[in-house]
Amino acid sequence: MVPTTEQVHALQLRGITKSYGSVTACDAVDLAVEYGEIHGLLGENGAGKSTLMKVLLGLVHRDSGTITVRGEDVHLADPQEAASLGIGMVHQHFSLIGELSVWENVALGDKGRIDKAAVRAEIKDVSARYGLPIDPDARVDRLSAGERQRVEVIKCLRRDPKILILDEPTSVLTQAESEELFAVLRRAVRDEGRAVILISHKLAEISAATDKVTVLRRGQVAFHARTADTTAQELAKQMVGRDVSLRADAAALGLLPVENTSDADDAAPDERPAAVLEVRALTVEVGGVRRLDGLDLRVGAGEIVALYGVEGNGQATLGDVFSGLIAPTSGTVQIGGQRVEPTKPGALSDAGLGIVPEDRHQSGVVLDMSVAENLAMKSLGTVSGRMFVSRRTMYANARRLAAEFNIVASSMDTPVRRLSGGNQQRVVLARELSGKPKILIAAQPTHGLDVGAIEDMYTRLRKVAAEGVGVLLISTELEEVMALASWISVISDGRVTGSMPVAEATPERLGMLVGGEAV
Amino acid sequence: MTTSTMTEQADTAAPDDDVAERLDGDWGRRALARLRVSRSGWLTVGLTVVLVVIAGGLSAALILSTGGSPSGSLHAVWTGSMANAAGWSTTLLNTAPLLLVAAGTCIAATAGTFNIGQEGQVLIGAMAGAFVGLRLSVQGPLLAVLVLVAAALGGALWAGLSALMYRYRNVNIPVSTLLMTFLAVELVDWMVSSPSILQETAQGSSGLASSVSNPLPAAGRLATTGQYPSLQLNAGLYIAVILTALTAIMLTRSRWGFRLRMMGLSPLAAKHAGVRVALLSGVALAISGAFAGLAGGVLLASPIGSNRLQSGISDNVGWDGLLVALVARNRPGVAVPVALLFGVLRAGGDFLSSTGVPYFLVDVVKSLLVLAFVAPPILIDAVLRRRASRGVVAHLPAAPATPEVAA
Repeated sequence: MVPTTEQVHALQLRGITKSYGSVTACDAVDLAVEYGEIHGLLGENGAGKSTLMKVLLGLVHRDSGTITVRGEDVHLADPQEAASLGIGMVHQHFSLIGELSVWENVALGDKGRIDKAAVRAEIKDVSARYGLPIDPDARVDRLSAGERQRVEVIKCLRRDPKILILDEPTSVLTQAESEELFAVLRRAVRDEGRAVILISHKLAEISAATDKVTVLRRGQVAFHARTADTTAQELAKQMVGRDVSLRADAAALGLLPVENTSDADDAAPDERPAAVLEVRALTVEVGGVRRLDGLDLRVGAGEIVALYGVEGNGQATLGDVFSGLIAPTSGTVQIGGQRVEPTKPGALSDAGLGIVPEDRHQSGVVLDMSVAENLAMKSLGTVSGRMFVSRRTMYANARRLAAEFNIVASSMDTPVRRLSGGNQQRVVLARELSGKPKILIAAQPTHGLDVGAIEDMYTRLRKVAAEGVGVLLISTELEEVMALASWISVISDGRVTGSMPVAEATPERLGMLVGGEAV
Repeated sequence: MTTSTMTEQADTAAPDDDVAERLDGDWGRRALARLRVSRSGWLTVGLTVVLVVIAGGLSAALILSTGGSPSGSLHAVWTGSMANAAGWSTTLLNTAPLLLVAAGTCIAATAGTFNIGQEGQVLIGAMAGAFVGLRLSVQGPLLAVLVLVAAALGGALWAGLSALMYRYRNVNIPVSTLLMTFLAVELVDWMVSSPSILQETAQGSSGLASSVSNPLPAAGRLATTGQYPSLQLNAGLYIAVILTALTAIMLTRSRWGFRLRMMGLSPLAAKHAGVRVALLSGVALAISGAFAGLAGGVLLASPIGSNRLQSGISDNVGWDGLLVALVARNRPGVAVPVALLFGVLRAGGDFLSSTGVPYFLVDVVKSLLVLAFVAPPILIDAVLRRRASRGVVAHLPAAPATPEVAA
């Protein structure tokens, strides 16, 4: 097929449609990407970004539509074909093997005999060309999240892709590391004429790093423009499908000008409420690796304390401790002034701790059990007699909680698997709050939720705190932290590197603390 | 934020869910929803029928190839199992231990622990029962009770060893329960070959004794109601049915069953909710061993064999019971008819082999039927999932130029 425009597109998608059952993930999506530009693909969770990229990589087959690469129609039956066309992707979740070294990970998937010296030389070449310093012999599980991201990028660039796709690449990076990455991408498009597709739900980085932007909403292209010709407000509106004015909205979108806010002022630093959660010198070692290193935390009744930091600095381990899954090597956890043994089954929830865990599919809910059962699982005693569960009480309890927390499910018998992410998260929250906790731990409570559900979660967390429950918000999103918390502690490398009321927090100061520098 | 905007958001979050349907107290509608067979349900039924017919065809071909007559064989199976009261008596006698093993397997599988050592637990149960029955000088029906209790404890202990190995040495449970089966065979063999332990008293002047125990005294055997040729029901069947019903109720209705199901579906979430996962899964494994051990006790104490302990006494009841649970997909209620079907095959198979058809053919037929019943749900699940994740590749000609996005 002869291209009609004077310029041959690096990649052109026309009318791409893909349905899963009754759900149309992509609905007649058009997208044109040029060489020498960074094209932003913006959209909420579930807008169809991932499906579209899976189609491009040959992981999923489109129902209809055409794809041309450099003006030629392509079939894209499998990932090998995508690779041979020069389409490469850096996935959101690392696909690295921790026990192997950097060069081994990079060589993974190569065919034929592996030439160690050649691979190492290539890595050095790529890392010098793009300014991505890395030691080819380092073991990957010893690297920081930012360094791992570098390995992923090198792995992809070494195969010399003409079209490079990055899926939410900054979710594990600090501000400085993100800027570094965007500089590398800029070099790849400007000096070498590659095409880059940057997928993100963060407006700020789309505005800063891209040349053109396409907004997907509910599987359709909602908006397309040169980045320079549009505003962040406009993009936010297109992404959500309505005007964005609420503060919580803005925070959810990463739009909020990060500055001191008025509602933080009522929490003066020297008169904090009585502690409901106190963690002292908490140290956890797993397999000889120190995951938490003398961590101190304090949450008062009715306040929201944020534990802010980049992913992979011990937050997951802390969550496991609060879930009773890992025993601390040393240090203490006190709830309401009483010392608690976290690994004793039921001890944490008996002491008054509720937790919205980070991996809700693994430990927050049992996907194949019903809504009613999931709502009852931590307080079986209240819905049953000595031996048997009373279905009547369990359903009455479930209906009451569903109404109170606005859980939308076709019935209380519906398996939680069939609920939307926001509703699943509300099931967890409803269950944890029904136990009348003194302290609620919310670990990345808005991960993977769409804007509406995020807003709802913010409102609920504020309400919980207003009712006198202490809330510990473990989060990697700066905007979220600034919007919700009255007190911020920063975690880096398993330690709290700094702690301050939100009124004293500035992005610069937090950034340094996140990087591990005490201020 | 007002309630109305919140509802709106929730709706956008889950467009498929109908808010009006949230009132779910309506029992009638819920029952109907349960009864409604989905498309994949019909597919499963259809495929099962097709596969059973194929299995029947293959079996007929096999019987023909060994010189037998398929119709004659079918008739022999029928005569031996269902044609008259005597046939039914034999069938039900075979059903009881199978059902016990299957019910126990349902408990372990619900808890997410995969016990596949039932055959050995049956043997150990029979051994413990024989030991008590032959060594204790207790009179009256109390002895039969003691035999069964000992059998259940023996099975529980044998499975419990695997639970301990997992707890303290992280030994994989399917592997250890399986290997313990081979150990059980050797142990029983040794016991019935050692005159000082359980071997039968030497008979006559030659002083020869086979590798079996003495028969269980009459007081240690399970009572049977009814007289040949009318229907005979052994106490073992009552025990099996009652325990299966109890299992079904406990698994679906009790707090204990709730925790067990939660643990089986997501051990992490169960731990989160305060369940003592290590303890509970060990208990579930031991209980499933107790059920298998009890089945061994029933084999020993009911008129299905010679009431003597020998290494062949389990006669694959453990494996077949495991298959019953597999076909019933770990639902005790469904296990009842499936166990009955297996009982029919066993009783009919015995009769068939007495007409000259080799017994291994009966086993082959049984295996083919099991495959026909087990495969369809798994196959259809896999196909549907595959179809959901990979659409049909579009083989469309280059589409006429569509209006392009501003580029």
